[in-house]
Amino acid sequence: MLLLCLRPQPYLHLPFKLLGILDVQNVPCARHSILYGSLGSVIAALGHFLFTSRVRRSCDVAVGVFILGTLGCWFPCRYNYAKQRIQQRIVQEGIKNKILFESTHLDPERKQIGTKSDNS
Amino acid sequence: MPYPMQLGFQDATSPIMEELMYFHDHTLMIVFLISSLVLYVLILMLTTKLTHTSTMDAQEVETIWTILPAIILVLIALPSLRILYMMDEIFNPYLTVKAMGHQWYWSYEYTDYEDLSFDSYMVPTQDLNPGQLRLLEVDNRVVLPMELPIRMLISSEDVLHAWTVPSLGLKADAVPGRLNQATLTSTRPGVYFGQCSEICGSNHSFMPIVLEMSTLKYFENWSHMMQT
Repeated sequence: MLLLCLRPQPYLHLPFKLLGILDVQNVPCARHSILYGSLGSVIAALGHFLFTSRVRRSCDVAVGVFILGTLGCWFPCRYNYAKQRIQQRIVQEGIKNKILFESTHLDPERKQIGTKSDNS
Repeated sequence: MPYPMQLGFQDATSPIMEELMYFHDHTLMIVFLISSLVLYVLILMLTTKLTHTSTMDAQEVETIWTILPAIILVLIALPSLRILYMMDEIFNPYLTVKAMGHQWYWSYEYTDYEDLSFDSYMVPTQDLNPGQLRLLEVDNRVVLPMELPIRMLISSEDVLHAWTVPSLGLKADAVPGRLNQATLTSTRPGVYFGQCSEICGSNHSFMPIVLEMSTLKYFENWSHMMQT
């Protein structure tokens, strides 16, 4: 029983769905975008209210900034995530090729060294 | 692996399914934001005492709610088309397998190197062993090598069926007299389940598909064993 308690438990990513549709726990970049969008909307709405004292218009500003802020964080984050994925695949392929073909004529490093010595 | 009360996708096993899941996340975020905006406007409409009964025109708002949806549709369409074309990329398959739909089972033919064909019937509930999955297990699984592109040619001997494996992002209609092609690449070993996805009679729900992705050596041993 004590050993069971000491064994590391896997972290359970329970889904937390906003409006019942968007799982912010498990969708990459979702939590980050929603948090920054919310923060931006609260700051913009408060600032607007402090300057104009108009409650309704401040709420409109909050919703607008939330949408634009969320999208503004979402697109760059997803773009970088996609770039990282591609780089990860290239690296994985490179490691696999290196392990498979080390010391053979197909060794990627040997080809590179060969090309450099031809150029010099 | 499907589980009871599941709402989302199964874990992706192929690069195409991974891309489809990311596209789904992208579209869902757009849908979430539109839903938030609509909810907010709804609350505004329901909580105001103001009325305006003499609206003659609304050029600005009409322009905005024409152009904005067009932009949103373009933002959804571009990744969608990218994945669509990615699915049809030219590749060199290592193996071709034919899947033929029948009422109510699938038959598979591996005719590249030697003549291997077999039928795949669902295991009835009363014949299941402990731990096996109800309505998903079959007597002969489709064993394939992993990490290699495989061509699936799908057709039917009688009525319309559809060959589906959700975790690989595959669905293709089995049409009598027509060959549909699907590309299959699994990134990891495992057993992947699917079910017929085109209504084909009384036992349409009882003709599952089971793929067993394994190493090339295991696949070679299995095909040799199946032929003898």
